[in-house]
Amino acid sequence: MSQIKIVRIHNELLGTYGDQGNAEVLAFRAKFHGITANIVDVTYNDDLPTNGDIYLLGGAEDAAQLLSLEALQRGDNLNILHLAIERGAVILAVCAGFQIIGNRFVANGQEVDGLGLLDVISVPGDKRFVGDIKTTSSILSFELTGFENHLGRTILGPTAQAFGKVITGHGNGDSNYDGAVNGNVFGTYMHGPILARNPEFADLLLTRATGRKYAQITDPLALKYATWRRKVI
Amino acid sequence: MRLKIAVLIAKFAALLSKRILRRSGETISGRVLLALYPRAITELSKNKKIICVSGTNGKTSTTKALVSIISSISKLGTVATSPSGSNLERGVAAALMQKSDFAVLEVDELHLSRVIEEAKPKVVLLLNLTRDQLHRMHEVKRVADRWAKSASAAPGTLFVGDVDDPFVAVALNSAAQSKRISFGGRKHQDGAVCPSCGKYLKWVRNNYKCPCGLTNSNPDEIFEAGSAAFRNATMANVVGKYLGAKPIAVDEKSLERSVDQIHKGVKANIRLTKNPASWTEALKSVTGDNAVLIVNAREVDGIDTSWLWDISFSGLSGKRVVVCGERALDIAYRLHVEGIEAEITSSFKDAISKFESGASVQVLAAYTAFHELVNS
Repeated sequence: MSQIKIVRIHNELLGTYGDQGNAEVLAFRAKFHGITANIVDVTYNDDLPTNGDIYLLGGAEDAAQLLSLEALQRGDNLNILHLAIERGAVILAVCAGFQIIGNRFVANGQEVDGLGLLDVISVPGDKRFVGDIKTTSSILSFELTGFENHLGRTILGPTAQAFGKVITGHGNGDSNYDGAVNGNVFGTYMHGPILARNPEFADLLLTRATGRKYAQITDPLALKYATWRRKVI
Repeated sequence: MRLKIAVLIAKFAALLSKRILRRSGETISGRVLLALYPRAITELSKNKKIICVSGTNGKTSTTKALVSIISSISKLGTVATSPSGSNLERGVAAALMQKSDFAVLEVDELHLSRVIEEAKPKVVLLLNLTRDQLHRMHEVKRVADRWAKSASAAPGTLFVGDVDDPFVAVALNSAAQSKRISFGGRKHQDGAVCPSCGKYLKWVRNNYKCPCGLTNSNPDEIFEAGSAAFRNATMANVVGKYLGAKPIAVDEKSLERSVDQIHKGVKANIRLTKNPASWTEALKSVTGDNAVLIVNAREVDGIDTSWLWDISFSGLSGKRVVVCGERALDIAYRLHVEGIEAEITSSFKDAISKFESGASVQVLAAYTAFHELVNS
């Protein structure tokens, strides 16, 4: 595959916490592998493209989160995401986006059904978690760093596996784990954006999306940045 | 009587701070005063006409502009005002200790409610509301809700603001008295959701109209479009006119929060930048070939740097860009992904030394970096 389609879902709604940068980092890293990346911005009124390779959701405020959910439940959108997962496409959902793709969550005091793409439920806690976060993940050979800013607590069901083990910070709420993963569907509370802070994770997503193993990238600045954050958090 | 004593002690504390610690002494007096007399803001506001200025960007410069507008109608010839940038309760209290008939107060967005409640201002000027310091504000909507609630609880106060910003418009709609100003509409980075009803906000080019009624299409006064500095000065003049003062000429340069300095022969224009909206505005002004960007992430800068990804830096393409500050690597990597290779340096001094004597450099500085450079 020399071309890849990155679908940035509802950036106008899910772009409050900088997560739109994930699409840019994916496209940037893809270039090193000789892949041409095409970032498609899907807004609230649009239908999702059926042929995306990576679908991205970001963090949002409550009202925006509910609007995004409503749009993704409209028409054929949810079915498109289910089919995408079946054919091996990647989904990376951050914070409010992570809650949206789960089974249930609470926003603006209202409990709603999520998209059910990850076996998790989220509820509000009594204290907002704001600060740097560092985790390790069994599927990655490096530590992940990011910034969390959320009130939500997330509880994993039997078919979801925790994405990261928390070293610093709070994650899903018990300070033990952050996020969830099932196959190529990833959910996390980490902003930063997560792929800017951890560019090797972007490479893993590209590998998963294309089914190809790529040679390691030499980008000294990316490595310096990621290594420094891992050291100071 | 107790208030008078508290004021005397607070003034004495300021004097000690100035003499011994060589600090400005302005916020210490407010702190001491509020500790000794918690109701000081309410009491000291009673014989003054108070004007509050709040918003994400432009508070300090607009407050200064309003002071010069109001000084022409002050009978005592002095207008009490907050020490530069000190916009929490202690700054307000310190300002109100000054003898005057008018006070123009810069107030932090999250602290505006309490100041309105206690100082009972005659006018509140709301400039804008965009994403900023989300580690502290958490959500833009949270701040907007507080504004709207205080506006509805202050029937004696006139609320003036820019309704092209939907968050400001909600606050003005909640007020018993308001003056809705428009500059012909403009896009808002956080304007996708109606802050009044939570529905997807319908925008036609630069203007919004929600079925719930929130719109910028029915202002009380309309002005031509302009820079943020122009808009703020224009609104300051509207407030001045309401109070009977003559307008001042709009000097955008003086409202930009920028200073010119010379470092080892390099001419540096240093401008304050602190969030996506102010960076975007400041980047428009980078017209030369050289730029230095300073990024810190202390409390007032915002401790999370994710927002650097909300800004397009493409305007810097082709220029010589040098970065420094505690988070130089964050900005360097952000630029790198956008195709701009910056030189990374360890301090402002090193950054400036990269340029030849006689060169002109535009410096965009994080809040804490700006203050260090201006006060050094």
